[in-house]
Amino acid sequence: MSLLDALLLTALGTLIATLATVRTRWVGYVASLGLGLQLLVLFLLAPLGYGAPAVTSGLAWDLFGQPLVLRYDAMSWYFALITLGAGLVSSVYATGAWSDHYRAAGRSPGWLQFALALNVFTMLLLLASGDFLSLFIAWELVSWASFLLMALAAGPALKWSLRYITYATAGAMSMLAALGIVFHLTGSLNYADFMAAVDQWSVGLITLLTVLFGAGFAVKMGILPFHLWQAGAYAETPGPGMAFLGAISSRMGLYGMMLVWVQLIGLIRLIEVHIPLTFLSLRDVLMWIAAFTIILPTYTALKQNDARRLLAWHGIGQGGYMLMGILSASALGSAGGILHIFNYATNQAVLLLAVFAVVYRTGTADLNKLGGLFTRMPLTFVAMLVGIIGLAGIPPMNGFVSKWMVYRSLLSEGMPLLFVASVIGTLGTILSVYKLIHNTFLGQLRLEHEPVQEAPWSMVIPMMVLALIIFLTGFMPGIVLDWVAAVQAAVGLPVLPHTLGGVADAHGGLDMIMLVLVLFAGFGVSALLFYATGRSEPVHQLDNYAGGHFLSADVRYHYSDHFYAGLMHRIGHWYRGSFLWFESVVASLASFLAQWSATFYRLMQPALPMLAMAVIVLWMVS
Amino acid sequence: MEIGKRIADIILMPIVAFVIGLFMVLMLRKIAAKLQRRVGPPFFQPLIDIIKFYSKTTQVSHGLLHDIGIIMAVGGYLAAESLLPVPGMDGLSDKGGIITLTYFLMIPSLGLALGVGQCANPNGSIGISRALTAMLAYDIPFVIVIFGVAWHYGTTDLSEMISLQQAQGWGAFEMPLLALAGLFALQGMMGKQPFEIYVAPAEIATGPMVEMGGKYMGGLFVMQCFQLYTAGVLYTTLFLGGGTHWLDFLIKIFAVVAIPMMIAFTFPRYRTEDMLRLMWKWPVLAGLLGIAFVMY
Amino acid sequence: MNLIALVVALPLLGAFLLPVGARSVGWVGRLLGPALLLLTSLVVIVLWRDSGGVPSHIELGGFQPPLGITFYLDQLALVFALATSLLALLLWPHAAWRDARVAALMLLMVSAASGMALSGDLFNLYVFYELVSVASFGLVAAPKTGAALAATLRYVIISGMGTVMALTGIALIYTQTGTLNLAHLTLLSATTLDNTLGLTAFVLILLGIGVKAELFPVNIWVPEVYATASQRVSALLAGLISKLAIIVIIRLLVLLFPQPEALTLLLVIGALGVLLGELAAWHAKDFERMLAFSSIGQLGLVLMAFSIPGQAGLFAGLAVAMHHLIVKPALFVLAERWSGGFAGLAGAGWKSPWAAGLFILFALSLIGVPPLPGFWAKLMTLLGLLGQDNWIYWTGAGIILLATVFEANYLFRFGLGLFKAGSESRSAKVPVHDAGSLGPSLILGAVLLIATVMITPVGNWLAGVADQLADRELYVTTVLGAGRELP
Repeated sequence: MSLLDALLLTALGTLIATLATVRTRWVGYVASLGLGLQLLVLFLLAPLGYGAPAVTSGLAWDLFGQPLVLRYDAMSWYFALITLGAGLVSSVYATGAWSDHYRAAGRSPGWLQFALALNVFTMLLLLASGDFLSLFIAWELVSWASFLLMALAAGPALKWSLRYITYATAGAMSMLAALGIVFHLTGSLNYADFMAAVDQWSVGLITLLTVLFGAGFAVKMGILPFHLWQAGAYAETPGPGMAFLGAISSRMGLYGMMLVWVQLIGLIRLIEVHIPLTFLSLRDVLMWIAAFTIILPTYTALKQNDARRLLAWHGIGQGGYMLMGILSASALGSAGGILHIFNYATNQAVLLLAVFAVVYRTGTADLNKLGGLFTRMPLTFVAMLVGIIGLAGIPPMNGFVSKWMVYRSLLSEGMPLLFVASVIGTLGTILSVYKLIHNTFLGQLRLEHEPVQEAPWSMVIPMMVLALIIFLTGFMPGIVLDWVAAVQAAVGLPVLPHTLGGVADAHGGLDMIMLVLVLFAGFGVSALLFYATGRSEPVHQLDNYAGGHFLSADVRYHYSDHFYAGLMHRIGHWYRGSFLWFESVVASLASFLAQWSATFYRLMQPALPMLAMAVIVLWMVS
Repeated sequence: MEIGKRIADIILMPIVAFVIGLFMVLMLRKIAAKLQRRVGPPFFQPLIDIIKFYSKTTQVSHGLLHDIGIIMAVGGYLAAESLLPVPGMDGLSDKGGIITLTYFLMIPSLGLALGVGQCANPNGSIGISRALTAMLAYDIPFVIVIFGVAWHYGTTDLSEMISLQQAQGWGAFEMPLLALAGLFALQGMMGKQPFEIYVAPAEIATGPMVEMGGKYMGGLFVMQCFQLYTAGVLYTTLFLGGGTHWLDFLIKIFAVVAIPMMIAFTFPRYRTEDMLRLMWKWPVLAGLLGIAFVMY
Repeated sequence: MNLIALVVALPLLGAFLLPVGARSVGWVGRLLGPALLLLTSLVVIVLWRDSGGVPSHIELGGFQPPLGITFYLDQLALVFALATSLLALLLWPHAAWRDARVAALMLLMVSAASGMALSGDLFNLYVFYELVSVASFGLVAAPKTGAALAATLRYVIISGMGTVMALTGIALIYTQTGTLNLAHLTLLSATTLDNTLGLTAFVLILLGIGVKAELFPVNIWVPEVYATASQRVSALLAGLISKLAIIVIIRLLVLLFPQPEALTLLLVIGALGVLLGELAAWHAKDFERMLAFSSIGQLGLVLMAFSIPGQAGLFAGLAVAMHHLIVKPALFVLAERWSGGFAGLAGAGWKSPWAAGLFILFALSLIGVPPLPGFWAKLMTLLGLLGQDNWIYWTGAGIILLATVFEANYLFRFGLGLFKAGSESRSAKVPVHDAGSLGPSLILGAVLLIATVMITPVGNWLAGVADQLADRELYVTTVLGAGRELP
């Protein structure tokens, strides 16, 4: 029995234990303990993260002569680490005070914990898949596990989870088609046979397989144009569940893309494929899709008035950075893309946990109904601040490092428009995360929020841990870059030479340790300057300049709605909802055909078409 | 580079920046005065202003975050200056190039935004909303310029760019379109006429500064000095070959700030949405054309 | 060995005696039917155990083939004979407990259905098929509502047309070969039926028997009948009888009609069935019609699977058919309490969580979510279809994939709708499931889960069944004795 078996069995055990205690009060502790144990086993597997050879599971078996292989390599380990980290944090958060609150609302925290454990288990299984069949099986399990998590909340979540599962099934069917074609061509579903055969395949075939597999993964990832389900479905998922989904669940799509596009087919092949009538290669087209995935969802996020939706839309946009980085195929860019998976997971998790801490205390995530909570929930504020700095990619948090690497590689690869596109995305992110923190924590404190207190410790501690990780991996990105380099080696990308502080490059590198130290020195000097000079006296927030009026607590003057009025004046009419329109066109078309089919079965003279059919068939036969 | 020299650089560079920034503020005030046929302030007025702000007896704080915002605003610039090489001092320019600098410059803005937000004055928040929108406006041509320059020199390291320019000639002559676009972006970045609506210095009650007084205002004043200095040095570094020695360096950076300002001061103020349209049209077009010339 | 005749004879006898017996002794009417079914299932199990998987045949009345009535007992025939008895027992209609006439019709149908599964010549096949039809007319009309009678009338008309076609087809074969014994026909098929006339006969039989198999153009009766008949009868028709009809068609196809055009025809008809069935199911607004259309779609899938040439096709087809045999009856049983429009069922899942759980289990298997058996069946079908270097087959695979998306959508639109917050007054009216109404579904669900765990042995066994089905020589030598090799 290898350590991988131990990991999978622990995950299965957690699942069973959670199910056994699903109605009890300690289900959260059971789940958290189980996830903690899994993380521990994963740490025992840590050599994988530093480039040790892949570990195979002893649990392999044959199905219809098709061996199912389970194995972990550096990439699996890296994704598993993020998965388990996000799972553990969400599970701890969902235990204790939050779960009491949830139970009081008539929901079952037990099933939430179970769904979380199920998601983690299926994802660990997916990461272990060593052939196309187990990949597909685990993929479907992951899809349906996240469907369970999304549908748990009932109410509006039902509509969104149905949308998700429809998209997901379409994606899965696309993968199944690809799988069938692969089986037809190679006679097996092994990765090795695939890789041996791929060199002889024609350009058209490569394109077909890239697109068919890619569509399946893109749905999960929320890559344009398959993104419409994601924001709504995630936003309706109960708090910690959404944090988990937002942090890592979509990235399983990226795992698939890295596996099939990068490791099995090879980016070189994708670069070789030229799209007729253009000067673009298939890889370029995919990069442009990634660019649009960055820009459009980010600017959709800018318009959201619900904190959950806002972050969910950003989740879609940030996926574009990862994809773009990886597709750039350079050592720096792909490292940036891979690193961004980790960084983004921590950022999104901390942001969502902070948002749900606010929801826990105030009962709303509506950005027009909050404000001024900094004085009431300072620790939650800090968590969110760290999160938005990271998400926007501003130093000194980790999000900056990965985005810097993506920009830097686009620069040295000479892709100006993609570079500009990704910066436009970042700018939009800055705008919208400021709106998030401003409308929630800054400005006027509402009268009804006067008695609000800091979130309970069971929720604050996970946030603080995440915030610390975000800062630390921004300060010393080399910790994560070690793993990233191992992933690059495992999937056959060029490996990035890196240092503890970042990237060493003769023509412009990055050393975060130095930069962060100087930044904090600057803050220190500035603070000294500030506090050494005249004493300031704190005043009540209503002691404000109001153009001659007197402000009172019952007047709502928090500037929140239509926050970027000037910007929207210029770009507001660019929001066309084209994807929604296209989706509705497809639905209408299907509806029309369905109606037509149903009409066929309602014909009043059943014998006539039957006779006609018989005659037609006989005529065709003879 | 030995460690002692580096530390000395890191300490000296912000101080130099502050002093030069003070002179730039003075110069701008003089220019404005001349254009408006006034005498203008005396030589030490900027320094006196700062001392005055910091020594006010009434210092109104709207809470901890208000303070932290100002600290971040000034501290961010203090750190950022060490990324901008000047003659004889490279500081940290090899540890993070032009991209890092661009993002470092967002830290003070973020600090300011947080501090203003904490003041709970809707006028302040509106100002921030405008400031961020303006950032979206000028940063797009700016990153186009950055791309073109970095691609042209094959590096993001600013000191390497300087030495390359001193060998091959100024960037402004090799990439005139990019230099032009950069000038536009720079004007927006400084928050000066005609793009000063988000600062709204003339009608202080409707901008971010509405709740700022005393050392808070003083902090912003210091920040402004740094801002002008940074803009001047950055442009000089990208397009005007940096400085071989302090004299030509100072001439260049003052010219970069002064000459566009003389022209721009005569223009009426742009509204936010008009600024977006302006910035996204001509500078972007020029920048993209410039990149096309540089790359092909 | 002649024990097998009991499987047909006993229910037939019961069907005739039951109305008489029930008039004098009340409990006879209630218990005789289930008791007989139990007995016949035991008989089949015993025979199966004794056969050891080797096919055999019997001649009723002692006439040697090709003259006498021949039963051919391979594993496929036995498994369907067993499934007939067991499913009829499991789905014994409520009305049959009260009304001896319904019980008699049920027994008649069981008898004829077993006969169909076992029969080794075309004439008997036709007779049994007619008996099944007649019995099903009565069962379908049993609720005696206006809608049920209207639906039955439609059903009768189409079945009548089908009968004529099938009979014409059989007549064509007879004129061509002069025999109706399947083994004999197999011997002669290469020389006499491998032509346009043979293909015409196949088409006619396909469309004729296809009425029961819910094949595309001749299945117009399905939705109305299933929506109005009692759910258990619908379950039997959709689950069992349709599969029997398919199996008969496939048996004939394998033995008599080697033309590749026949396979293509199956593929096209199947694909149209899948497409129209799933689309119409997506459009359906009540549970039974949704299941009825879904059943049309699934039968289309079965046909497409069988259209794959060679043993792989038979294997895939059998897998899909057996899967549907388990799943669809279970779903129809759930519809007993949940009949009617979707809107009325909002919130029903909260009141009957077990029923909702079962629905979701069966729905997942129907969509083909691993590791449930439905996934393997669909996978085998798709791999088979994509394995052909032929654009028609690839298009067919595409249609299946597309239809699956619709399938997932409508099944889960319904499944999630069960958990919608309905209005209080409305949801108070939704009947709650109890042990009695869940029983059959629970048992079938357990079978499904066991098959999930034992997927490898089940798959291997099914492959063996498919091998036997594909083996024409085995059929001939078993029935006619050694030495009568195929040309």
